[in-house]
Amino acid sequence: MDSNRKPKSVLDSVGEEIVRIITPVSICMLLVVILVSVLNNDSDSSGSSFPSIATYAYTENSSDSNWDKLKGALLNALVFVVVVTAVTFLLVLLFYFRCTKFLKYYMGFSSFLVLGFMGGEISLFLIGKFRVPIDCVTFGLSLFNFTVVGVLAVFMSKTAIIITQGYLVVIGVLVAYWFTLLPEWTTWVLLVAMALYDLAAVLLPGGPLRLLVELAISRDEDIPALVYEARPVINPDSVPRGAVVQRRVWRETRDNDLGSDENLDSTSNLNSTVNSGLESNSGLERLGDENERNGVDVEDGQVSRADSELAAPLIQHRINVRMNLQEGGSNDDFALEGIGLGSSGAIKLGLGDFIFYSVLVARAAMYDFMTVYACYLAIIAGLGITLMLLAFYQKALPALPVSVLLGVLFYLLTRLLLETFVVQCSMNLLMF
Amino acid sequence: MTVGAGIGYALLALGPSLSLFISVISKKPFLILTLLSSTLVWLMSLIVMSALWRAFLPLKTAAWWPYTILILTSVGFQEGLRILFWKVYKKLEDILDAFADRVSKPRLFMTDKMQIALAGGLGHGVAHAVFFCLGLLTPAFGPATYYVEKCSKIPFFLVSAIIALAFSTIHTFSMVIAFSGYEEGNKVDKCFAPVVHLIAAMLQGRIQNRNCRDWLTFHFLIPQAVPDPPKETLTNLAFGGCMIGIPLLYCVAIVTLVHCGKMAWRRLIESRSREGNLSNSQ
Repeated sequence: MDSNRKPKSVLDSVGEEIVRIITPVSICMLLVVILVSVLNNDSDSSGSSFPSIATYAYTENSSDSNWDKLKGALLNALVFVVVVTAVTFLLVLLFYFRCTKFLKYYMGFSSFLVLGFMGGEISLFLIGKFRVPIDCVTFGLSLFNFTVVGVLAVFMSKTAIIITQGYLVVIGVLVAYWFTLLPEWTTWVLLVAMALYDLAAVLLPGGPLRLLVELAISRDEDIPALVYEARPVINPDSVPRGAVVQRRVWRETRDNDLGSDENLDSTSNLNSTVNSGLESNSGLERLGDENERNGVDVEDGQVSRADSELAAPLIQHRINVRMNLQEGGSNDDFALEGIGLGSSGAIKLGLGDFIFYSVLVARAAMYDFMTVYACYLAIIAGLGITLMLLAFYQKALPALPVSVLLGVLFYLLTRLLLETFVVQCSMNLLMF
Repeated sequence: MTVGAGIGYALLALGPSLSLFISVISKKPFLILTLLSSTLVWLMSLIVMSALWRAFLPLKTAAWWPYTILILTSVGFQEGLRILFWKVYKKLEDILDAFADRVSKPRLFMTDKMQIALAGGLGHGVAHAVFFCLGLLTPAFGPATYYVEKCSKIPFFLVSAIIALAFSTIHTFSMVIAFSGYEEGNKVDKCFAPVVHLIAAMLQGRIQNRNCRDWLTFHFLIPQAVPDPPKETLTNLAFGGCMIGIPLLYCVAIVTLVHCGKMAWRRLIESRSREGNLSNSQ
């Protein structure tokens, strides 16, 4: 074929950033589903629930009536949301008093705890399940090494980006698995409550996360947070000068989103991108007009890079983050760049989103695999919709509500309607 | 039967789709997004159908007409969605062409358009395989297996995997045929997809029914040497049920493949000769 002579079509690069963020989300969900199906072979009743802040008000008993379970779950969720709000306000306060160093160190300590203790316990479950012959000393040593490398990878940005990304996904998997140990009704009501809280905290004028974002913008600082950052798309045929391939850095736009919330023991996990909040040209250094490709500007801007954002939170119970789309295109490209189809931006997604998506899918896995597929598709659709809304509205948007609400809706529809239909049709070998 | 068997069934249903995905679709991110959205559309159509039919299930009658109506409504709805998909695709094509002009890249090639159609069809095929085969595969990972009375010689999981493979082929390539038919206005191609879908679905439905099977046995097949046994299971062995339905289904799948191949070849040759004429005349 003459494909080498054919110029590259536009189809080769469109939508790449979206796929770069969907891939780690899918991997995280897949790992949690595998963990859950391997380790939780008993029924999904709350036999092994552990005392936590999320079961403070009510511990589910499988013999309770549905109404009691619902009431108990609502109480639990309420307690949880109240605690999270309080801790978020505490975080805003700490940030206001410029205790950033403290926050960073606390986050490093938190990720150490997550990787070390939670990771250790889950490894012990797996070792017990598969009867792996390993002795304590080897196990302790490898776990310690794993944990320390993880803390360094997340804390400092000098490691290869794939290691940082891998460890962030691992942290998400570990925390999501622990969330699935909560009782069933509590988990679902908690997910919906967190989605609504996210909506309120980011969009309402008094919401803690919005305050945090505005503080960060006004001070031009980064919020220490755990953020998954997709690799930016480098466009090779946009380098007119010389052999130097410039790594495209994102232009700061007015967008900024964060999400954070935390929990008693842990610090919040924030994800933020500092934005100048001003017009695109201010505060940026243009590399000269000869660098511009037609219609798309290559700009180097200050970027709130991962190095400053690597305060890893201990994500014990919740995190709530938002997505941030940074766009590099010029203003009139906004209609297309806005859909996330631009080739010069990178997308960041907070770790809390990873965790809650995975919790939803893992809970669906505890029922049956058909619900898993339906919820997976719903979450990805929600993520896509949120990206488009983000590009459209150009401001901080919560990533949880659309996906979680769609996921819960599809779970209910599948469980109640689809499953009977498909099983009936398949048993009669009626396929279409 | 074991984890190995379960994975085997899953790969049987999804193997060719997986290789198509890895070789063609994973290289272009836009195609991955197209695949995900067409899977979602298929899932939503399935949910709507199940909402409609929920009140009537489980169908306990042995008569054939409820099943026929079920299949007719489902296939009709899905074909309607295909037309909707086409309309959305046209809008998307305009947006992509405008974007290409803006960044001064060439507009969408014909192969690009066919690849998008392929991704859309693959999404439908994967969705069918996932919901009709993989979703039911959970017991297959355990120590036992399961047989249905309609096809009692081979395990149910194997039957559903084989049928899912045929259907995903049909879905994948009939989408390419349908899109090219809508684009060129070719009547044959336009009607090909719904007709093939309906035939394939009916093959599964009708052949299972004992009356139809007996009719076929009486008129077409070798007269039975043994007297009509009372149990359905013995009849399934030689004279019908899935033993007829599945090979016929694969015939339909092969017809789809061949037709799609011929159509794609013809269009490629045409466009190549058109390009040749253009460059010659310049």
